[in-house]
Amino acid sequence: MEIDRQDERFIIPIGPQHPALKEPGHFKITVDGEIITNAVVRLGYAHRGIEKATEARNWVQNIYLVERICGICSHIHAMAYCLGVERLAGVEVPPRAQAIRVIVAELERIHSHMLWFGVVAHEAGFDTLFMYSWRDRETVMDLLEKVSGNRVNYSVNLLGGVKIDIDDQIKDKIYEGLEFLEERTQHYIHVVTNDTPFLQRTRGIGVLTRSQADVLGCVGPVARASNVPRDIRVEAPYGAYQQYPINIVLEQNGDLEARVVIRLKELLECYRIIRDILNTLPPGELTTRMPRRIKEGETILRVEAPRGELFYFIKSNGTDTPERVKVRTPTVCNFLSVLKLAVGHQLADMPMILAGIDPCFSCNDRVAIVDRHQQSSEIWTWQDLRQYGIEYYNGHSR
Amino acid sequence: MTITTEKALATATELFENWVWKTRTETPEPNRLDVYIQSSEELIPMTVGLRVQRLGYLATITGLDLGPEAGECELLYHFCTAAAVITLRLRIPREGAIVPSLCSVIPSAEVFERETAEMFGVTFHGMKNPEHLYLPDDWPDKTYPLLKDFKPEVLKNLRIQESDNGN
Repeated sequence: MEIDRQDERFIIPIGPQHPALKEPGHFKITVDGEIITNAVVRLGYAHRGIEKATEARNWVQNIYLVERICGICSHIHAMAYCLGVERLAGVEVPPRAQAIRVIVAELERIHSHMLWFGVVAHEAGFDTLFMYSWRDRETVMDLLEKVSGNRVNYSVNLLGGVKIDIDDQIKDKIYEGLEFLEERTQHYIHVVTNDTPFLQRTRGIGVLTRSQADVLGCVGPVARASNVPRDIRVEAPYGAYQQYPINIVLEQNGDLEARVVIRLKELLECYRIIRDILNTLPPGELTTRMPRRIKEGETILRVEAPRGELFYFIKSNGTDTPERVKVRTPTVCNFLSVLKLAVGHQLADMPMILAGIDPCFSCNDRVAIVDRHQQSSEIWTWQDLRQYGIEYYNGHSR
Repeated sequence: MTITTEKALATATELFENWVWKTRTETPEPNRLDVYIQSSEELIPMTVGLRVQRLGYLATITGLDLGPEAGECELLYHFCTAAAVITLRLRIPREGAIVPSLCSVIPSAEVFERETAEMFGVTFHGMKNPEHLYLPDDWPDKTYPLLKDFKPEVLKNLRIQESDNGN
């Protein structure tokens, strides 16, 4: 790989509009022939100043604000925030409410992983798998709607508890849905580990070794696919995870295949824990009393969002509005791994490598691929790049 | 292989209580250890100390504005391992603060430093890429949105100017 011939470098800016990923991000990818030599990201196209906005709203209003940080993992943001505020106030939330929060969080994880699975299949040019997985995802979307009344921002949390209850009728629906999903997930695990064209796009691609994942500070399924045991539900159980422990799922290889398989295996763990909780759902109240003003103090709350560790730092100054709410979403940590991973790969692998970390732009926002010795550049849409990747692999069997 | 929460906290407490300089530590919550750094020069040695002992990865950098009256900001470097959160707390002046960059020790610090730089106006010495990460390229100079005295009206004027130029 002769990456020193700077005069022959070529920069491909992708974005900020991503017709395929449906989210804005700007990447500048430097290539030498087919090989990526550098990748840079520019975030912020979806930056809305939410951290600042929390300082102008009271504790209750902020639940609704933080829930809108991300459209895919909305519940986990509200849950982390509520857990943090409750800890600051020294309020003990009833066990039934804790259990319901976890059920919704796990349902959300199922929907997030299924959504991502469809996206990665689409990026690989395997649209049949994409269609099937999103059809199956509707099952969990219906369950979420049944449970909370909403498909996106579930609005389940309150300070001091939850708004919704799960009765026997909903329970039966969930059992039924999970049974179907479990069967489908087993089928998908078989597909992604046996389908040759799909394996060509995933096996041995974008390898992140254990030490790299550790040093780069990767979190969530990306870290676990590289055998780094980082799962907040296991390391620092919060809420109902203390009573219902999670078994950590790890993969050894750290390539794209491992990242696909790990998320599918995690789905099986989600089904198990939801069933466990439903079987022994503790009776009792759904909410408890919360003070309007929260006593002075600071707290740090870490929870496991579908994409990895979500970090909340909350500081109260004793009034009815927070002094500071700091949110660190998992994608920020994982972005750096993408930029490091991409170097040395074929340009055609870029869509899959990027999709492999399950990036969430509204969570954290932009990627640019930059080169100072730019001689010529051409703007590609994400669609162009994806198509390029698919055609490249149609012509090249490895 | 994996270090337990108690072990991590005990090791970190021992490390910082016997630090070369007198260092104050506190335990605000059972799983946390806050370390108050006296001078920004200690930041890199302390980070190296944490890394050598394998005490967690840099989860994020939190900036806190203590208000115009106090005239100070505080940077919180959170290191996490298992349930333990070890926080290095550094007080800096509100204006013109220069802090050494951690990029040479922890490459992932770059995104957090760039965010803190544009939100609080802190300069990180030795940072490779000091450009904006989240804020637009035409964001007004010396305007730091997470400071308590930030006025959003600044941006309103900016938009008017822009549309004038467009006409």
